[in-house]
Amino acid sequence: MVALLCSIFWLLPLVWIFLNSFKPYNDMMQDFLGLPGEWKLDMYVETWTKFQFPQLIANTLLYTAGTVLMVVLLAPMAAYKLARTKSRCSTFCLIVIILPMMVPFQSYMITLTKLVAGVGLAGNRLGYILVSIGLCMPLAVYMIHGFIKNVPMELEECAYIDGASPVRIYFEIVLPLLKPVLTTVLVLDTLATWNDIITNQLIVGGKRKAMNIQTALFMQFSAQTSDWEHALPGIVMSMVPALVFFMVMQKHIMEGITAGAVKG
Amino acid sequence: MKKKKRRESFLFVLFVFPAMAFVLFATDIPFLMNLYYSVFEWNGVGKTMKYVGFQHFVKIFTSDRLFWQSVLFTLKFAVFFVVLVNVLSLAVALALAGGRRISHVGRAFYYVPYIISLTALSLIWKFLFGPGFDALYHMTGWNFFNLSWVGTPRLAFYVVLVMAVWQNLGFYMITYITGIVAIPRDLTEAARIDGAGSWQIIRRITIPMIMPSISVCMLTSLTFSFKLFDIIMVFTKGGPANSTVSVAYNIYKEAFTNNQYGLATAKSLVFVVFVLAVTVVQFQVTKKREVEV
Repeated sequence: MVALLCSIFWLLPLVWIFLNSFKPYNDMMQDFLGLPGEWKLDMYVETWTKFQFPQLIANTLLYTAGTVLMVVLLAPMAAYKLARTKSRCSTFCLIVIILPMMVPFQSYMITLTKLVAGVGLAGNRLGYILVSIGLCMPLAVYMIHGFIKNVPMELEECAYIDGASPVRIYFEIVLPLLKPVLTTVLVLDTLATWNDIITNQLIVGGKRKAMNIQTALFMQFSAQTSDWEHALPGIVMSMVPALVFFMVMQKHIMEGITAGAVKG
Repeated sequence: MKKKKRRESFLFVLFVFPAMAFVLFATDIPFLMNLYYSVFEWNGVGKTMKYVGFQHFVKIFTSDRLFWQSVLFTLKFAVFFVVLVNVLSLAVALALAGGRRISHVGRAFYYVPYIISLTALSLIWKFLFGPGFDALYHMTGWNFFNLSWVGTPRLAFYVVLVMAVWQNLGFYMITYITGIVAIPRDLTEAARIDGAGSWQIIRRITIPMIMPSISVCMLTSLTFSFKLFDIIMVFTKGGPANSTVSVAYNIYKEAFTNNQYGLATAKSLVFVVFVLAVTVVQFQVTKKREVEV
């Protein structure tokens, strides 16, 4: 019972942000805790147009879709071959792919920024997507690899004897079996990419055109004196997609996060 | 036979290399570049790089006061965070592990902060500590709300701690709940029939049974603390007066603010060794748990 009451308390910061996002600044100061006088969407509309939300959301969607599609396509392919091939080369490749999980991102983000600039992809949408895919890949391969090891090989062998080609076996027999773990990967990477700010900031720098919604809002509103009348609706709008996604996929998210507990 | 082997290799390359190329580009190669740059004196932009051997490492261990200050901050944060987040999340997990619908709602509430972005996290708390506390001070008159939480070195530590716990509690709670749910029902039922109270069941059965979850959570929270960076980067920026500079943020500043590129990469390597030691243990423990489950 206490834990339930506390859970409401835990959510209060978000509730307050939501309530205050409808108030003019004076009301925020004078009646911080109360409900807004009127539920007007004026500030939402103004924030939406003034800060180019359509462009920001389009960017962020593009990044999220690009990253997730590529990871969900390539990670299971690699994980499958690596799990089914017993050779020194295979072990080596597996290590190259999953070792970065153990190395903290902060230790190589400086050189990563340098490398991306070096190949001329800094401040560039494509550059950011490529990096984003690379950063999501190790955990995805690790999780799928662990899953495939427990999938029996008999089905594949039967199909092989029946004359199916290896590529067909993979797409028609193996891939459907991986659905649970792929859902987990999809959920984790969608949230990670939608919410990413550190990598986006490092790669796109100050280029407005390529910023995702998180970076743009952060740049706009984190200065010393804040424009809360626009900041609060902005935060709420940037959170809504993630929250809706959370509500729809709640079960998978909670399972998935535990599965990914060892991410480096 | 030979042809078959060639075909096998071709398939291997086709399946594995695309994924591997991305990983190499985004992680392995930058990491190896670290090793290279760490022995040079370089500002990150200029054409000239001066070879300095292991001087950076000597400097880190002998005369870099700010770095060791950041190590101290990180260790202090680790102690507070590990204890606080584990005690609280375990308590919440024990309360909400039941299958009732209302406990699921409670879990979701605790979990929501974990899925919001760092931008939202930092702006939300900036708003609460700023206009929010001002308004509360005017309402209540309590001095607690009038303190400059973000602006005072001693207090800023607790701000970072509160934000970190608020955001991450849900994650640890779920990990604990997964452990608790896996306990066979007959164990607790048998204990209850024998007349054990709730507290006795928790102490004698639940806690010993979820020891693997506990060690995983302790280690995960420890590595989280060591790597503390995001909250600092988006919220305190290490301030006030360098009081909240974590190790990772010290490295970041060395590279991007002080333009001491070579030194920063050398520090990164020291940092990796520091974190890797814990992560390796974490992997071993997690693997063991996987076998048991």
